[in-house]
Amino acid sequence: MIAELRAIPSPDELNAPQTSPLLTVDRLKAYYKVKLFGVDREVRAVDDISLAINRNEIYGLAGESSSGKSSLIKTIAGAIRPPLRVVEGSVRFAFKDGERDIYRLSPQELSAIRWSRLSYIMQGSMSVLNPVRRIRHAFEDFALPHVSAKGADFTRLVERHLKRLHLDPAVLQAYPHELSGGMRQRVTIALATVCNPEFIIADEPTTALDVIVQKGVLSMIREIQQEFGSSVLFVTHDMAVHANLTDRLGIMYAGRLVEEGRTRDVFKKPLHPYTAHLISSLPRIGDEAPKKALEGSPPSLADPPPGCRFHPRCPFAIEICRREAPPMVEILPGHRTACHVAQADPARVRTVA
Amino acid sequence: MRPNLLDVENVNKIFTRGGLVSRRVNHAVNDVSFSLAADKPEVFTIIGESGSGKTTLAGMILNSVAPTTGRILFQGRDLREIRSRGARLDFMSHVQAIFQNPFDAFNPLKRVDRYLFSAAQRFTECRTPKASAERADEALHKVGLSLAEVQGRYPHEMSGGQLQRVAIARALVSNPSLIVADEPVSMIDASLRMTVINLFKKLRDELGVSIIYITHDLATAYYISDRLIIMQKGRVVEGGDARTVLAAPQHPYSIKLRQAVLSVDDAWRDDRVGAGVPAVAT
Amino acid sequence: MNTLRILRDLLRYNGEFAIGLVLVLIVAAIALCSFFSPYPPMDVYVVPPDIPPSWEHPLGTTSRGQDVFWQLTFAIRNTLLFGIVVAFLSRIISLAVGLISGYKGGWVDRILMSINDTFVVVPLFPILVLFYFIMRDEMTWAMLAIITALLGWAYDARLIRSIAMSLRTREFTRQAVFSGMSTGKIVLQEHLPFVLPIVFSTTMNNINWSIGIEVTLSVLGFTDINTPTIGGMIYWANQHTALVSGIWWWVTFPVLLVIMLFIGLFLLAISMNEYIDPRSRLSRLGGQA
Ligand SMILES: Nc1ncnc2c1ncn2[C@@H]1O[C@H](COP(=O)(O)OP(=O)(O)OP(=O)(O)O)[C@@H](O)[C@H]1O
Ligand SMILES: Nc1ncnc2c1ncn2[C@@H]1O[C@H](COP(=O)(O)OP(=O)(O)OP(=O)(O)O)[C@@H](O)[C@H]1O
Ligand code: SF4
Ligand SMILES: [Mg+2]
Ligand SMILES: [Mg+2]
Repeated sequence: MIAELRAIPSPDELNAPQTSPLLTVDRLKAYYKVKLFGVDREVRAVDDISLAINRNEIYGLAGESSSGKSSLIKTIAGAIRPPLRVVEGSVRFAFKDGERDIYRLSPQELSAIRWSRLSYIMQGSMSVLNPVRRIRHAFEDFALPHVSAKGADFTRLVERHLKRLHLDPAVLQAYPHELSGGMRQRVTIALATVCNPEFIIADEPTTALDVIVQKGVLSMIREIQQEFGSSVLFVTHDMAVHANLTDRLGIMYAGRLVEEGRTRDVFKKPLHPYTAHLISSLPRIGDEAPKKALEGSPPSLADPPPGCRFHPRCPFAIEICRREAPPMVEILPGHRTACHVAQADPARVRTVA
Repeated sequence: MRPNLLDVENVNKIFTRGGLVSRRVNHAVNDVSFSLAADKPEVFTIIGESGSGKTTLAGMILNSVAPTTGRILFQGRDLREIRSRGARLDFMSHVQAIFQNPFDAFNPLKRVDRYLFSAAQRFTECRTPKASAERADEALHKVGLSLAEVQGRYPHEMSGGQLQRVAIARALVSNPSLIVADEPVSMIDASLRMTVINLFKKLRDELGVSIIYITHDLATAYYISDRLIIMQKGRVVEGGDARTVLAAPQHPYSIKLRQAVLSVDDAWRDDRVGAGVPAVAT
Repeated sequence: MNTLRILRDLLRYNGEFAIGLVLVLIVAAIALCSFFSPYPPMDVYVVPPDIPPSWEHPLGTTSRGQDVFWQLTFAIRNTLLFGIVVAFLSRIISLAVGLISGYKGGWVDRILMSINDTFVVVPLFPILVLFYFIMRDEMTWAMLAIITALLGWAYDARLIRSIAMSLRTREFTRQAVFSGMSTGKIVLQEHLPFVLPIVFSTTMNNINWSIGIEVTLSVLGFTDINTPTIGGMIYWANQHTALVSGIWWWVTFPVLLVIMLFIGLFLLAISMNEYIDPRSRLSRLGGQA
């Protein structure tokens, strides 16, 4: 059985005017400022990104390695540590109990909304579990301060949550090393969601899991999202996961968002040449045709090429691409891209790719 | 007749945990055998369950974990005979490794380039710093990087993908004849994945390097593997020609694995409204 | 540069560190004064004996006709130096044993650790006294330092070994192995930086411990009593029944000074421990691991 992870939205839902989005990222710029041999270097990991994520939505983020996905996510979650610095822009959440501008919050307010409203499953987070403490302690350490239930009530709450996620409450007594990788990852997700957060950020939560376990983890995320009506921002390199899980998909290249639209549209009618390449290069079981990787190397974020950052590798590049950075514009309904050629002729990229 | 490049003969690995009182035995690798021919470079893929012993098996082939029973021959030579430092260095210049987690692959307190230079100095004839730098740069170019981008950087200043490419470049410095790659692409993007995979292909076809490729990504396995084995709980449950096995798996576990593969094409098939959320696999 | 920044932060945010540092610096300054002493340390009856603290002799003089202050500068210098030498030697042993044992594992580990455990359980004091009776006149200051160092490394070696063991399982260690680095290089360049902070903090404790040993042995006269040390001073004071005859300054000032040193080193050790706490340290490294 090939399971369908995505809930298909009804046509009304799609056409209904959206209420204000849960997350609004506005012209966000976040740079790493590093000193090397006395020379200052600025890595523009997040460069002028605007996006909005609605309630009850799974938003996927894909793109080049080191295009700044994790950096974007860190700035959204307010987990910024030097040398990363927010240079410009804002990140606003419209939580049920009021709007929050992440960078206006004091550290106390930030830690209060972490876990309870916003939870962040970090890249490589399977290893956050302390190897010498039982899982139960991890729940107490992280979640206890954020819920009103204490003592036995708290234990009951945690057990109920685990059951809801089809995890045996017996895992509470286990040490992390006694659990398989997949179990551990599911426990971290359970941990991150025990306070019913409205917004869940997951950075590559299924990397390094076998496909059977991966599928379990993905269904779990989908279930949590549906049960609590949360929104999820999901980062992975696995395009098949995006195709099967996310509602909308954003593609990043060299610190910029280059395309965004409903997942299906992005897969079926990619507008940006990078996306088109990404999708056509996916290997499939049963398909023996050689797949080409992109020529050239990814641009350095310390010294990105002028104009469109993709132009040195783009088969469609024209004169203007070398000079002017294309703005992000909505070309088809709900489908934005930053490409001069696609703006002029939306069908061009698709037909060639 | 030339000996095989690699023979894995009835290898077992048993981990025992705990002391005399509560002894727990974990049969991590259970009676695994296969061979790689010397004159036919190939990509040999190992897929399987999380925790099924793939990494342990790789460790034994790399001579860093000793098998409990059974033996492994590299070019006809039992790995147990490789003891002296000289023999080990020689072995490592022929058999190289690429690891799983790029975030942990380099010492967080050290610059990443030191590993490239060390490999160049130990495994090749490069003696001067300049020669090593050239060698390192050459290897980095094979993975789409350059020494200028890497030199002087600490691991936390690089992304996972960059780190993984540096790790692959590091393995390529000594022009090895066998590379054991444990989930080398799980942390890098789809396009780069193809760069690495095509690079493996090129290594095999042009340089005659054999590659043992451990992965969870069945699509790339299908794309490059010549042969493949599927492991579950330490045992090889199925093996053979990669495309045959993946197209029509026989063992129940292989079938389950094959069915769990998410594919882009199936995602919107017939817009199967109402298929809803699947039962959670346990 | 980095170390300086750490120092500055420690001074600014960590009261214990600041107090500890001030105390240790005062003691060190007194020790440095010995270089300007008007009297040679070994000479007796250079000043009138038994004078209480006064302008001319701020800490008084002893019954042996020595100025307590200047005598003290030599005594604390030798005692401090003793502590440092012992700590230095024993750190080298514990680093070597701990790192190699933890990295190599297997039979190397088993042998080194059984030696280690022997040293942990041997009763230290009787051994030292035994050595004194065997060696008598050969029991110089340097000899004592070496013997104490040989007896003082075992506990910390175990600590270092446990860190090295966890470092061994990290992927970067395998990366180093497959880059052809030798054991020595891996241990010294890849692993040593991780244990250095702990070594610094145990150094403080070890200095304290060895000074304690030295003072006790000297007070009892089981050392070379001609080298002026804090213990030696107290030994001579006792020989002259200083306290009974009311020459309290001969005993009080050395005791106060050595207590000051103890407290200073202790505060430095605990504040460093706080700094070394892996959780806060990890965030300083900026690592996600
Ligand atoms: N602490 C840091 N100091 C300097 N540069 C950094 C730091 N962390 C990340 N970078 C740089 O910022 C860029 C973006 O990195 P980021 O981790 O956000 O990428 P990513 O899209 O998540 O990549 P991946 O898919 O490989 O995880 C990279 O060029 C990286 O080298
Ligand atoms: N040093 C060790 N001591 C004890 N048990 C071990 C050791 N190394 C691995 N194991 C156990 O051996 C089994 C196989 O682990 P291994 O890492 O080889 O699996 P894997 O197939 O690589 O899994 P994954 O797909 O998650 O990487 C696991 O049950 C693991 O807990
Ligand atoms: S703007 Fe030009 S260079 Fe950039 S992606 Fe579009 S066509 Fe290619
Ligand atoms: Mg990332
Ligand atoms: Mg593994």
